[in-house]
Amino acid sequence: MVDEGRVVLKVQNLKKYYPITAGLLRRVVGHVKAVDDVTFSIPERTTLGLVGESGCGKTTAAHTIMRGLEPTGGKVVFHDRQLGAVDLATADKDTLYQVRRNMQMVFQDPNSSLNPRMTLLDLIGEPLLVYKQAKGQELVDRVAELLKHVGLRPEYMRRFPHAFSGGQRQRIGIARALALNPQFIVADEPTSALDVSIQAQTLNLLQDLQDEFSLSYLFIAHDLSVVEHISDFVAVMYVGKLVEHADTRRLYHNPKHPYTEALLSSIPRPDPTTSKRRVPITGELPDPANPPQGCYFHPRCPYAEALCTHEEPPLQEVEPGHYAACHFADKLSLRGVNDF
Amino acid sequence: MAAKSNILEVSDLKTHFFTEQGVVPAVDGVSFQIKRGGTLGVLGESGCGKSVTGFSILRLVRPPGEIVAGQIRYYGRDTVNGDDLAQIDATSEEMRQMRGSEIAMVFQEPMTSLDPLFTVGNQIMEAILYHQDVSKAEARKIAIEMLDKVRMPQPREMIKKYPHQLSGGMRQRVMIAMALSCRPKLLIADEPTTALDVTTEAQILELMRELQEELGMAIMFITHDLGVIAEMAEEVAVMYLGKVVEQSDIESLFTDPQHPYTKALMQSIPKVGQKADGRLETIRGMVPSPRNIPTGCPFHPRCASFLQGICDTELPQLKQSKPGHWVSCFLYEDGNAGHSSTPPPAPPQSIGEG
Ligand SMILES: Nc1ncnc2c1ncn2[C@@H]1O[C@H](COP(=O)(O)OP(=O)(O)OP(=O)(O)O)[C@@H](O)[C@H]1O
Ligand SMILES: Nc1ncnc2c1ncn2[C@@H]1O[C@H](COP(=O)(O)OP(=O)(O)O)[C@@H](O)[C@H]1O
Ligand code: SF4
Ligand code: SF4
Ligand SMILES: [Mg+2]
Ligand SMILES: [Mg+2]
Repeated sequence: MVDEGRVVLKVQNLKKYYPITAGLLRRVVGHVKAVDDVTFSIPERTTLGLVGESGCGKTTAAHTIMRGLEPTGGKVVFHDRQLGAVDLATADKDTLYQVRRNMQMVFQDPNSSLNPRMTLLDLIGEPLLVYKQAKGQELVDRVAELLKHVGLRPEYMRRFPHAFSGGQRQRIGIARALALNPQFIVADEPTSALDVSIQAQTLNLLQDLQDEFSLSYLFIAHDLSVVEHISDFVAVMYVGKLVEHADTRRLYHNPKHPYTEALLSSIPRPDPTTSKRRVPITGELPDPANPPQGCYFHPRCPYAEALCTHEEPPLQEVEPGHYAACHFADKLSLRGVNDF
Repeated sequence: MAAKSNILEVSDLKTHFFTEQGVVPAVDGVSFQIKRGGTLGVLGESGCGKSVTGFSILRLVRPPGEIVAGQIRYYGRDTVNGDDLAQIDATSEEMRQMRGSEIAMVFQEPMTSLDPLFTVGNQIMEAILYHQDVSKAEARKIAIEMLDKVRMPQPREMIKKYPHQLSGGMRQRVMIAMALSCRPKLLIADEPTTALDVTTEAQILELMRELQEELGMAIMFITHDLGVIAEMAEEVAVMYLGKVVEQSDIESLFTDPQHPYTKALMQSIPKVGQKADGRLETIRGMVPSPRNIPTGCPFHPRCASFLQGICDTELPQLKQSKPGHWVSCFLYEDGNAGHSSTPPPAPPQSIGEG
């Protein structure tokens, strides 16, 4: 979708459906379309922010891309440094094993994603051992180096994660993800559990590491200020589908989808003089097992017309590099983040 | 004598936890007031004592926690002299009546405060029957009215649902309905939207503002989110390590933040709509463990304006730096920095009436 420079990841029509079963025979009576026909790509050394309400499918998309979950359909083309283009959705075990050196994940909850019985040396050294990159003294040296990179003292490497604060544990998770010098990192709400002051440190660290190691990120978060700050491009998800995708500036200042406008309008502003002016979006996220007909957003959309109730809008390129799934994307003039 | 203009006056409150590993001074000399029908925002990072302050007011702190000093004067019942909640037996019938009918609380995670085995209707009715002399049928009617008030779709159907059948936003609406069902004069809202999506958060904040206007209650709004505080509060108290380090009206706090911690907090968040390429400002280090509070000004190891020989030895007190704006920092004491003879370390004094 974006043709600036080389692309590290290209996701095409990705689907992940969960069967809904009923009765004693566990007959399949329907599907939760957790990820439904999602298409985007991430240029090298850039960050794509993925936003949307809880349950819209962000984490499922991330795990399906990493092939932690089996995709129901679609392609995930990863441009591996060593192997070239690989479709992760169909790759065999051996290929996946090799590709996984170059793609890593950082999780929301640093407490539950680190094994409490492993020292930092074990935790951060594990990927190096598994991929036979280092052992013995060399392993210790590499871990020390990684700890320094994320701003932790190498002396701490024999300690266990519980001896560290939430922000420090997130750094441990980042060091572990960096161990194999990956090309691409998926960060799923990496700062949501952190305090404001620690969030700033972590965001700076992620940006510094991106510059230093030429990393690309898929950055999932619900905090729209954080996403704007860190992302070059942003994709908005609603009930399993992408509804808008553009570079950060255009998406925030000149949105083309009413749902994006609604999200931007909801952001609480740290400025007592401009707040209290917005119009909050009404209604609730639909049940993903039973989404509305037509445009999924129509029951909540202030611009909905008859067409929207029965015809589903496809994701279309409204302007070069700016995609939106709304029948009226090119007619509506929607408010940007500074217009509320 | 006329009724007090404040509904609550907390002065020099100290709530400590006497754990096996030592004393945790979770709340250590906190003072603030809340005006009748007004909103006080309490802002701070996790662990600074916001929730313990809320629990102390409702006398819900359990051993090993204990209120060891201070007053919590509540002017809702006796509007002239007030009642000192710190002196009422926490397990008494009087305090139980106080909770719910005078002062109610809404928590961050509604799932933990709703009983999964009972329908939401049952739970709201129970709260009503406990505090009001009404029949079951009337309680049911009030419950439906309250659910309608919090904009629950189809309240008659909703009262039959169990908590797990509702979304996070719906559950938070139920909690608010329950808290408001007995028309409290003060609502303590402890991070009521932190677990919610921005869209749902916006709805709940809007709802709380409307209900406050309609019911005239005061709100103590606890949050770590500067955006939420800007939207909800009229007055703000900024907490750090169990103490209020700055208090003022919301405009003054945002246009002229004074405490180095408040300033640093404001600079460390990305400002939406103003994307810049650079790095974010950070506060060095992290919040120290409350078992191991630094000497002098508790913020001094992280403070960019730290004055050697003063900040690390003496405790600054909350003082008025300009009308209506209070700050506890040596940079704002008379004659400013440079002197070290005064003031002697003393417990923070209570704030005069504002
Ligand atoms: N194993 C599963 N079986 C059935 N449905 C599932 C399963 N895992 C997730 N889902 C459903 O898929 C949808 C997407 O869930 P997902 O966890 O990806 O959301 P999310 O966008 O990451 O939300 P959050 O912001 O809360 O993390 C939800 O409706 C969820 O209930
Ligand atoms: N039951 C308890 N036992 C010991 N320490 C406690 C207990 N409850 C709270 N604390 C401590 O009191 C301090 C303040 O906690 P809290 O008020 O919950 O913070 P906040 O709400 O600001 O995040 C923290 O350091 C916390 O660890
Ligand atoms: S297609 Fe219709 S309902 Fe959907 S976002 Fe556009 S205007 Fe709204
Ligand atoms: S008293 Fe000193 S250390 Fe504390 S906030 Fe003020 S300048 Fe910083
Ligand atoms: Mg998720
Ligand atoms: Mg709390």
